Amino acid sequence: MSETVVKIENLVKRYKELVALDHLNLEIKKGEIFGLLGPNGSGKTTAINCLLSLLSYDKGDIEIFGEKMTPTSYVLKKRIGVIMQNVAVLEELTVYENIDFFCGLYVNDKVARKKYVQEAIEFTGLEEFVKFYPKKLSGGLLRRLNIACGIAHKPDLIILDEPTVAVDPQSRNKILEGIQKLNSEGATVIYTSHYMEEVEQICTRIAIIDKGHSIAVGTKDELKNMIHNTETIKIEVMELSDEALKRIRELEYVYKTTIENNLLEVYCSGGTHNLMDILNILNDYGTLLGRIYSEQPTLNDVFLEITGKELRDTEGQ
Amino acid sequence: MFLHNLKYELLSNIRMKDFIFWMMCFPIALGTFFYLGFGKVYNNEIVFSKIPVAVVEVNEDEVFNTTVKSIEAEKDPLFSFTYTDKAEAEKLLKEGDVEGIITVDDDLSLTFFKSEIDQTIIKSFVEQFVSQKAVITDIAMNAPEKLPEVTEKLNAVPDAIENKSPSGGNMNPYDSYFQNLLTMTALFGMITGVLCATRNQGNLSAIGARKSISPNYGLVRLISSLTAAFITQIISVIAATTFVLFILKINLGDNIAMVYLSGAIGALVGISIGFFIGAIGRSSERTKGAVSTTVMMFLCFLSGLMVGDMKNTVEEHFPIINRINPAALTSNLFYCLSLYDDYNRYMENLLSLMIISILFITGGFLLTRRKIYENL
Repeated sequence: MSETVVKIENLVKRYKELVALDHLNLEIKKGEIFGLLGPNGSGKTTAINCLLSLLSYDKGDIEIFGEKMTPTSYVLKKRIGVIMQNVAVLEELTVYENIDFFCGLYVNDKVARKKYVQEAIEFTGLEEFVKFYPKKLSGGLLRRLNIACGIAHKPDLIILDEPTVAVDPQSRNKILEGIQKLNSEGATVIYTSHYMEEVEQICTRIAIIDKGHSIAVGTKDELKNMIHNTETIKIEVMELSDEALKRIRELEYVYKTTIENNLLEVYCSGGTHNLMDILNILNDYGTLLGRIYSEQPTLNDVFLEITGKELRDTEGQ
Repeated sequence: MFLHNLKYELLSNIRMKDFIFWMMCFPIALGTFFYLGFGKVYNNEIVFSKIPVAVVEVNEDEVFNTTVKSIEAEKDPLFSFTYTDKAEAEKLLKEGDVEGIITVDDDLSLTFFKSEIDQTIIKSFVEQFVSQKAVITDIAMNAPEKLPEVTEKLNAVPDAIENKSPSGGNMNPYDSYFQNLLTMTALFGMITGVLCATRNQGNLSAIGARKSISPNYGLVRLISSLTAAFITQIISVIAATTFVLFILKINLGDNIAMVYLSGAIGALVGISIGFFIGAIGRSSERTKGAVSTTVMMFLCFLSGLMVGDMKNTVEEHFPIINRINPAALTSNLFYCLSLYDDYNRYMENLLSLMIISILFITGGFLLTRRKIYENL
C-alpha cells in the first residue's frame, strides 16, 4: 500500500455564517496527480490554503507526510511547492531573478540553487526570456514563470491552484505536460481546476467538490461508473413521429429522451448497440436525419447527476 | 536567508519606478524649483547688499568724504557712493539706480522717493553722521590718525541691524524650505515601509502568501525587508542631501556628517510609520501607499514644506503637534545644525524621533506577528 502524502479529516472552515468547507475528507497517496474538481466557490482554494496553514480552520485535522501541518512546520514546508491561483512574482525582478529569489527561500546552497534554477527555466521553456521583466511576458509565459517559481526547489508535493486560468491553449498544453513530467519524476501533485477536461486529461484520481464537501472520489472511470448514464445520443431529425419516439423509449437501455428544436437526445444506461438500434427505428419510419453524435459521459455529467446542476453553469460565479 | 532576501528586496526597491520618481527625481526637481524660485532671494534682498547712494557736493565736506572713503574701504561696505551733480543724481534716483541722494552743503540733506528699509538706513546714517560730526571734526583736527577708528564706530550702528544668529549660524529663512525638502525625502520611506508589511503578509498580497508558505521565520523576512527599505531610503536621502549641499550650495551648517545623519534618522522614522500603516487592515498595497503619501504630505505641510511660516503658526496655537510631528522634528534636526552650536536641542529632537520609530516598528511587528489568517 502506497504512502499517504496528504490526509484531511473532517475539515470545517466557516466565514461567519458561510460554511466554506463542510467536513471535507481527502486522502492523497504518493505518486498521484490528484484533481480537486469543482465550480468556482466550491471550496477548492480554501482547502488548499488550510492545507498550507495559511488559513485557520474551525475543525478537523490535516497531516502531510504523516505529520500534523502547522504554520511553523518548516521541515514539511521545505518539501512543498505551491503554484498559486494569482501570479505571485516581483515585477521589478527579471525572470531569472524571480526564480532564484523564490528558490532561495528553500535552498541555501548557492551551487545547488543555480542548478535548480536553470532546470526550472528549461522545464518551463523560459530559456529565451530569462532577462525579461514580468510585465514584458504574455499571460501564458507569466503563468509558466509562476510555476517555475513554485517548483524550482524540487518539492515532493506540488500544489497547483488553477494554474491555467487565462492561459492560451499552447501554454496550457505545455503546463499540463509539465505537470505530468513532474509527476513521472516522483512528485505527488494536487491539481485544482474547474476545467473538467484538464482534470480528466492528467489526474489519476479526482475528488469532486461542491459546497465545501467532497461528493465523489475516484478515478475518472470510477466516477463515471457511479452514474446511471453511459451514453448520450443526439440526432438532428426533420420530423419525428410519435410512434417512432415511443419505440425508441421502449428500447432496453434507454432511460430518458428529449426532443427540442428538432434535436433528439437519447440517454442510455448500458448496452453496446444503442446508436444502431435507434437509427434502425428512425429508418423504419423514414425519418430524415441531420447530424448524429454519440457522447460518452463526462465529469460534468457526473457532477450534473449528483448535484442536479452543471459544472459549467456555475463557472464564473 | 537574511542576505538572500535583503539582496533581492534591495534590487526590487531600487528598480521600482515609483521609488525612482518620488525618492530620487522628485526631491531634486523640487529642490531645483525652490532654488530657482527663491534660493537667491535671501542673498539678493534679505542679506544687506550695498545700498547705492548718490552724493551731490555743493560744498566740499572733508569729514564726510573721509567717512565715505572709510566705509568704502570696508570688507562688506554698507553703501556704494556715486559723486555726481544734482541733475544726474535726480535722474539716477528716478530710474531706481540709487536709493537716495545725499546733498553735501553746510549741512547734509537727504532726498528719496520711497520710504523703505534702504532709505531708513541711509537716513539713519545721515542723522548719525550729523549728530557726531562735531566729534569727528574735532578728532580730524586734533588726532587725524584716529579718524578711521571713529568712523568705524559710526558704522557700527547700521551694522547692528544686520542679521546675526546666536552662534553666527545661517539665518536664511528660505533655507527652511530645503530643510523641509530633505525631511520630505526622508519621510518618503513610508512608501517602502508599506511594502515591507504588504509583501510579507500572507493575507495582504500573493507575494506575501508565497513567502508565508516558505520554510522561513517571518521575523527574519521582515527584518531583512526593513533593512533593505532603510538602505534604499538612505541612498535617496544621500542623493538629495548631496544635491542640496553641493549642487545648489545651500548652507545647512558646518557639520555635514550630522546633516546626513539627520536624513538617516528621518528615513528610519518614515519607514517605521509606513510599516505600521502597511500592517493595519486589509486594504490593497496601492490604497495603503496612497494613505501613507497623504499622511506624509500632511505632516510636511504642518512642518512648513508648503507654507514657510506654518511651523511657527502651529507652535503658537498647537505646540504639542510640533513635539510629535515627525516631519517637524526631522526638519528641526536640520534647523538645529544650521543655527545652533550646542546640540542639546538636536538631541531632544533625535530622541523623540527614535521613540516614535520604536513605537511604530513595534506596533507593526505586533500587527504582523500572525502566521495563520482568518481570511485571505
